[in-house]
Amino acid sequence: MNLRLKNAISNRKKDLIILLVLLLMPVFLNVIHFEYAFTIVSFIFIYIIAVSGLDIVFGYSGQISLGHAAFFAIGAYGSAILHKYTHIPVILTMIIAAFLAAVIGAGLAYPASKLVFHFLSLATIAFGEIVYQLVAQSPYEITGNFTGFFTDSVSIFGYKLNTYSKFYYFGLFSVLVFLLMKNNLIKSKVGRAFIAIRENSHAADGMGINVRNYKILAFAISAFFTAFAGGMYAHCVKFISPDTFMYKQSVMFLTMLLFGGTASRFGPIFGAVSVLILNEALRATEKYQLLIYGVLLLIVIVVLPGGLYGAYQDVAVKFKKKGVNKC
Amino acid sequence: MLKVKNVTLRFGGLVANNDVSMEVRDGKITGLIGPNGAGKTTFFNCISGVYTPNEGKIIFEGKEIQGYRPYQINKAGISRTYQIINLFKKMKVYENVIVGMHSRLNSSVTDSLFKTKKEREEEKKAYEKALGLLDFVGLLELKDEPAGSLSYGKQRLLEICRALASDPKILLLDEPAAGMNATEKNELDLLCKKIVERGVSILIIEHDMKLMMGLADYMYVLNYGKLLAEGAPLEIQNNPAVIEAYLGGE
Ligand SMILES: Nc1ncnc2c1ncn2[C@@H]1O[C@H](COP(=O)(O)OP(=O)(O)OP(=O)(O)O)[C@@H](O)[C@H]1O
Ligand SMILES: [Mg+2]
Repeated sequence: MNLRLKNAISNRKKDLIILLVLLLMPVFLNVIHFEYAFTIVSFIFIYIIAVSGLDIVFGYSGQISLGHAAFFAIGAYGSAILHKYTHIPVILTMIIAAFLAAVIGAGLAYPASKLVFHFLSLATIAFGEIVYQLVAQSPYEITGNFTGFFTDSVSIFGYKLNTYSKFYYFGLFSVLVFLLMKNNLIKSKVGRAFIAIRENSHAADGMGINVRNYKILAFAISAFFTAFAGGMYAHCVKFISPDTFMYKQSVMFLTMLLFGGTASRFGPIFGAVSVLILNEALRATEKYQLLIYGVLLLIVIVVLPGGLYGAYQDVAVKFKKKGVNKC
Repeated sequence: MLKVKNVTLRFGGLVANNDVSMEVRDGKITGLIGPNGAGKTTFFNCISGVYTPNEGKIIFEGKEIQGYRPYQINKAGISRTYQIINLFKKMKVYENVIVGMHSRLNSSVTDSLFKTKKEREEEKKAYEKALGLLDFVGLLELKDEPAGSLSYGKQRLLEICRALASDPKILLLDEPAAGMNATEKNELDLLCKKIVERGVSILIIEHDMKLMMGLADYMYVLNYGKLLAEGAPLEIQNNPAVIEAYLGGE
């Protein structure tokens, strides 16, 4: 018990230090005049939330989705279009669009929840394609089609977050809120039900879990997360076009998740950070992006089944053991 | 408490349960035996909602429950263990037990997302209850182990523990002693009696006749999907038709 308390306190300390570093990072980046980093960090924030959403449905409840770009699109276009026509503040339109995506996610999961793995992946690919086509060739060009769609930045009490550096704290705050919600969810009755379904859906059913409803719920919550990230993307970049919401984006989410580690607290963070930085480093080779994701996925499947975070944990466990041996 | 009336279940041409009727009495241990392939597990699957009988009624506390889904049966107050162990292997032992409480926990999705006070208190109680149940079946020291790492006999105990977590009125045990050694079987015998003392009625399938004779208050025998005999254990043991079925089946 005492040990546990000690661990809890030292964990708190670690969390506080990380938070402090994150809070002071913009100052540091400004001092060294590395403004471009804000762009990358903003995307990292956005992707952490999007990938966390995918983790809920794929990592925790074991349902594949190769169409999460669609939820990203619904969040982005939903919020941008809603804001244009109603002038409701951007933050609200982001939340409304995320709820819309949750409803659509539930609607997709309702029939799809009966499908097994590979059929579910086909159904989600089809869904992603449908949304992409709707966005790219919308009726009355409501989405701006291939020309794209310009939109406003997030504004807080009239203060516009219209640069990447101003977006920073909003992005950080959103990440913290969403990660906290995800963590709460996983450590609750709902999260246990998700994991139980992934582990053994027959037994879950027998233990009183309405498997279908929970699968639908997982999709809805997942869609909410990813769509909110889509909204962040739209109002951070202030311009969206169909390119961003192609099949490739869904693969990117999955790559990040698998590479970082599924069903874990830090997997989506590790994944988003490493893949985005890699992307930046390999900017010149954009043509080969899908190839690179493919290679990353292979590495994960063959060498790092737990993803980066899993590997990190293994190493940490080994170090701890060594420490004990020394005593 | 539980009355099954003329249940028939077919798999295509095979009649796995043929016009079976039986009763699980309040506060008693009811035994169900029969040669391999007699349809015992299928019968459990009918009661627990895995299959919907083609004909017949299943009445629990005055309500017809045939056609309910398994999760609804569990919520109604009938829980079960499986002949082929069906645990959440990667989850910890105590987590398996808390999953078993699912239908008794009331926190909503929003309670969960925002960890409301109500949710935290309920989780704390659930954890304590799980420890109590693990203590009851003798698995407390193993609470943090992954369920899949337990020995075969202990996994069977954990299945019972998980099933008890939903506070059932009836517990269905499908060959709980399979894979247990003699000591474990003795402990199981005691455990079943303690479970009945808690006010849970038991319907048990078991091939170990010695165990069954000591446990069951009343027994039913299935053969080729049909009810062959019923009665007190001693009557069953000396029933020529039952002896014939077992010898003929070997
Ligand atoms: N899902 C199924 N589809 C088709 N046939 C099945 C199915 N499940 C069971 N059977 C058949 O129904 C019959 C009864 O099987 P059941 O598993 O109920 O027997 P049992 O009495 O539990 O046997 P055991 O003592 O070996 O566990 C068997 O002939 C079996 O092959
Ligand atoms: Mg059986």
